[in-house]
Amino acid sequence: MNKESIKSDRPKGEVAVWFSSLGLSLSLILIIGLVSMIFYNGILVFWPDQVVMLEFQKGKGQDVKGSNFIAGEITKQQSKIIKDLNVKLDGLAAQEWQLHVGNKDAYGFSYKFFDMQHLVKESYPQDIILAERNEYGSAIFFAKYLQLKNGDKLNKDDPKFETTLKELTQECKARRKDILQIEKFEIGKINSKIEDIRLEVRALQRKGSNPEIEAKIHSFDAEIKFLQKGYEDLAAKSRVLREKQNENTLHAEIVTGEPMILPVGNIYSFYYPNRLSTVDKISIFTKHFAEFFTEDPREANTEGGIFPAIFGTFVMTLLMSLAVTPFGVVAAIYLREYAKQGFLVRAVRVAVNNLAGVPSIVFGIFGLGFFVYLVGGTLDEIFFSLSLPTPTFGTGGIIWAALTLALMTVPVVIVATEEALSAVSRGMREGSLACGASKWQTIQNIILPASAPGILTGLILAMARGAGEVAPLMLVGVVKLAPELPIDGVAPFVHLERKFMHLGFHIYDLGFQSPDSEAAIPMVFATTFLLIMLVVALNLGAIIIRNRLRKKYQASTF
Amino acid sequence: MKPIPERFRVAKKTLLFDKFMNNFIVVGGLGIILAVFGIFIFILAEIIPLFDKAEVKQSTVFEAKLPANRVIGLGVDEWCELPVAILDDASLLYTDLLGTRGTFEKKLPLDASDKLTCVNYVARKQELIVGTNDGRVAVAELKYATNFLPSGQRVIEPDVQLGEMYPVLDAKTAVTLADFGGKSESQLILAVGTTNGKQIVKGVTLKQKRSLFGKGKVEVDTDYDFSNQVKGTVKDIDVSIFGESFMLTMEDGTLQFFAKEGETFPLRQIIKPFESFADKEIVKGEYLLGDATFVVSNKNGDIIGYSSYLAKGAKNIQFAHTKTFEKIPGVLKHFTSCLRNKAFLIAGEKYASIRYGTTEDTRWEKKLDFDIQSIALSGKYEKMLFMDSEGRLHKYDITDHHPESGFQAFFGKIWYEGQPEADYIWQSTGGTDDFEPKLSLIPLIIGSLKGTFYALLFAVPISLIAALYTSQFVTPDVKRIVKPTVEIMASLPSVVLGFLAALWLAPIVDRQVPSFLLMIIVVPTIVLFFGWLWQQFPVYIRVKLPVGMEFAIAIPLIFLGCYLCTLIGPEVEKIFFVVTDPTTGKKVADFRLWWPETMGIPYTQRNALVVGFVMGFAVIPIIFTISEDAMSNVPKSLRSGSLALGASRWQTAINIVLPTAAAGIFSAVMIGFGRAVGETMIVVMATGNTAVMDMNIFSGMRTLSANTAVEIPEAPQHSTLYRGLFLGAMVLFLITFAVNTIAEVMRQKLRERYKTVE
Repeated sequence: MNKESIKSDRPKGEVAVWFSSLGLSLSLILIIGLVSMIFYNGILVFWPDQVVMLEFQKGKGQDVKGSNFIAGEITKQQSKIIKDLNVKLDGLAAQEWQLHVGNKDAYGFSYKFFDMQHLVKESYPQDIILAERNEYGSAIFFAKYLQLKNGDKLNKDDPKFETTLKELTQECKARRKDILQIEKFEIGKINSKIEDIRLEVRALQRKGSNPEIEAKIHSFDAEIKFLQKGYEDLAAKSRVLREKQNENTLHAEIVTGEPMILPVGNIYSFYYPNRLSTVDKISIFTKHFAEFFTEDPREANTEGGIFPAIFGTFVMTLLMSLAVTPFGVVAAIYLREYAKQGFLVRAVRVAVNNLAGVPSIVFGIFGLGFFVYLVGGTLDEIFFSLSLPTPTFGTGGIIWAALTLALMTVPVVIVATEEALSAVSRGMREGSLACGASKWQTIQNIILPASAPGILTGLILAMARGAGEVAPLMLVGVVKLAPELPIDGVAPFVHLERKFMHLGFHIYDLGFQSPDSEAAIPMVFATTFLLIMLVVALNLGAIIIRNRLRKKYQASTF
Repeated sequence: MKPIPERFRVAKKTLLFDKFMNNFIVVGGLGIILAVFGIFIFILAEIIPLFDKAEVKQSTVFEAKLPANRVIGLGVDEWCELPVAILDDASLLYTDLLGTRGTFEKKLPLDASDKLTCVNYVARKQELIVGTNDGRVAVAELKYATNFLPSGQRVIEPDVQLGEMYPVLDAKTAVTLADFGGKSESQLILAVGTTNGKQIVKGVTLKQKRSLFGKGKVEVDTDYDFSNQVKGTVKDIDVSIFGESFMLTMEDGTLQFFAKEGETFPLRQIIKPFESFADKEIVKGEYLLGDATFVVSNKNGDIIGYSSYLAKGAKNIQFAHTKTFEKIPGVLKHFTSCLRNKAFLIAGEKYASIRYGTTEDTRWEKKLDFDIQSIALSGKYEKMLFMDSEGRLHKYDITDHHPESGFQAFFGKIWYEGQPEADYIWQSTGGTDDFEPKLSLIPLIIGSLKGTFYALLFAVPISLIAALYTSQFVTPDVKRIVKPTVEIMASLPSVVLGFLAALWLAPIVDRQVPSFLLMIIVVPTIVLFFGWLWQQFPVYIRVKLPVGMEFAIAIPLIFLGCYLCTLIGPEVEKIFFVVTDPTTGKKVADFRLWWPETMGIPYTQRNALVVGFVMGFAVIPIIFTISEDAMSNVPKSLRSGSLALGASRWQTAINIVLPTAAAGIFSAVMIGFGRAVGETMIVVMATGNTAVMDMNIFSGMRTLSANTAVEIPEAPQHSTLYRGLFLGAMVLFLITFAVNTIAEVMRQKLRERYKTVE
């Protein structure tokens, strides 16, 4: 082989090609790594961990409340960053572990890093219990005995101990539901009735005063008194139920040796983390997962579920789609089918296109100024002047959030619809017109059906963008905790003026406004996981529809 | 004419519906497009009032018949309904402008033996200070009581409270000038008089005793004699509102500033305000609200302001020439500062003008048709009052919603009170009433550009080479999977990226900064080295790697590189980034300490490096998609031609594809820029949100978008801050709109170019 031929199979710039592959690989690593990281962390939140018990050398700075024992779930294991030039450590001694130690009421913290340099013993006690409580997060302890209301004591070694405790927690759970029913719904109903009457009274008072009105106001007063009586009855009922929650108590000892007394009514659920079989773990995992989707948040949103946020996101996105579809489609039909194609329309098209690139916060501030203050304020003055100065529509609400996002995503729909309209082949149009159909009939029966998948793609993309957007929502109606859902059983059922919770804002709020951000992180990951799944699913859907659409057009050209 | 056969006729309903729909679509479509552009109009409408000047309308002229030549000052209540003219003998002439009371007189409850030699009305404190011929001084507060009649009508009653007479000068010296300032704990009365041709300047401090039963009696605390410290003849004195300092205006055109230090009032500074001006004499000098700025004028109508500040490292505040106002025609004789903001009203001869202290702006100026003898400005900055030489009162309404705004306020360099130099600062709210809102948008724009710069620094190289590689070297089958995968990146909500940046990435980077810096060099080197090594293999091994699969090999190489860096990083830190820990005195290897010590600029955990990385992450898919489209749409004929002539695939890509698609690539970068500049949540979460003006990669920033999101919930509707934030949004809107339009135009040009080539 001569030298020339060797040169020829080494074309110039191959090394540079390798270099250029770096960009793609890096992008792929980033996206796949990120999504799997969130997936892993998001799923891990629901998986029951083992609880490790650590014994340290006493007096080495690892003591908690004077004890050198600690127990908890391992949340992070990392090597220490040793900045001091003279210190050299190896193996376990060079590590620090972060434990979720629970018992926030006893320790004052629930997450803490421990230096493993002074570790004496690591063990996994079989009878340690992890209980989820309705305050102070979860508790990790050794049970001693169960004090029943009839005076009996049930020792932890008693074979009936676990089943009895389970039954009691179930009982308390049912009672908790009753309490919630009374406090949230029944009392809520009475409150809204009283509020309505108060508004009517105010309306009458504004009219002036004559005997007839006085009499009416008087009758209203009586009604309010009656309602208040009902309110007090309910309050008493719930008080009784609440007292019942504390009848049975669990006496226990936490790992530092401190005693702990837990009313059973405080325990949501409990399990022996170090005794679990894989099947048990899967069942607990499923239970946690289901709770996450269906329950209301607890403990400043760091525990419980995120149902209101899911529901809020769903309703808001739905309202947004309802608003954006007709507007976007009509504008696109006008631009493509009716407007005279010239410089002006081209300019409008470019401008609409660019509007999609305008930062979302600009739409947010517009929504605040225009929808909330101007439109909402005017509505309040006309229809809700009685409850002023408390604003009804003149403050952030789900309708304004939906409209703001609709405005933000309307360019997306216009662009997608226009593309779809222009992809409908000339042959089909002309065929329809030649058969004697009018312009609108052609649009309605030929063009719109043919471009429906394209429009749908645009709509899905708009929904994906709307569902993931947070910045504008912060200005027009999203809140960290909305006691009432935007759709519920109280007339008129759909409450467009209500504030709402949103998955994206939930992430922001948990991660950044939470008093205990370390405790919030698992929840943030879980929420992030859900939001990403939602958005990615929507986007994948759009991509799939788009690909099908392309094939269909290729087939249907004359 | 024969009727049209039935089968050719269209049902009337169809025609009607068709007509209706056609009109509906046109009207609806146009309406929606207009509505969408209405955003621009609406935001503009919110901004315009920011640049309005004050609107002043004459409301009434009242024949009060005041003895004009005896009036030394005018005072007003909050609503300007019951002005008071203070005469030279300290009698008060109230004039009821609304009611039927007309003009009535009220005298201070002075003893008959008190011979007044000094009457000084200080409008900004609403205090009348009187001095006697035997060296005593008393302070009267000219307050108002507001009563409501049963009909709901408001009636203003004068409420004058005269304080005790305090001996300040000795009993033989008549008081010629006197002023008072302070509240409960520290109060200062200052007086000037002359004995035997010698000027005497003395002061007393008063202290209010506190007791269990509330505020106690005010007693004289300490006497001061400044006579020897004061250089020259005193023309006017101004004690600051808290009584902790005073400013003397001298006949020779200097200002002498005294401030409390412990128990003494040393002379701190001698200011020569008009040293470089034609006329050096000070005609009038007064404090603005907050007593941090002292405005002086001379006979030529020059008006300048001196503000106090604390220089770096200095212990005491000092004054510096910070403001220069537009000249006023005529000799300025009257000066009154506003009680609500830094505005002040000045008048001389027939000219009157409202100026704003912070921005040096002339809010209003007019030549009136009478000689101005006295002026007053109502507390709410809504009314002003002039007295002419006939003793008539002229009342004017001021409408000025945003006195502190203006072009200078938002974009100019301003020397704010308390600052050591003129600067661009954003600080919209402060703790006190006399706080000067600092509304410069420049640091926010710089912040936006800083974030965008670092994001693009990271995103542009990666996404462009990724696009080049994907469009030129990857096989179509692989591309069909790879491209949507990268595009999915674009759909990740920014709140997710922001959360990851702040709570996950920032702590990781913070632990190992050197490792991350190393990665930037090590990872490409490893890939390049492997590429070179691969080229050394014989061809039969090389063909085993399918065309366009280099990226699959590069993935483990990148992991390897990153792993190596985490190993080497701490070692590198131990060699290069060793500093002495200031707290323990030990030598430690810590980049986070090394950076501020060596570079002199701060290091924070949530910094531009993290933001740039994560925001870059958001921008990569956008630049990638658009530039990939541009590159893969380069006409095949061009590429084939190049390859057929013997150019390698790399040579073709660099020399043919890149130049042809240049416009498309440019437009991709522009759109990426637009996305990064307006990104909100990532910046809100992953930076400290402090408005800084540097490009330091290890510090945070505050961007226009984040600023809007953070501040608008606190801004009352239609306040200056509210409109200022709209202005910020408009700036953002215009930047992105312009950038996107350029990008779009470039892309269309490119499309046409491709058409002609084909």
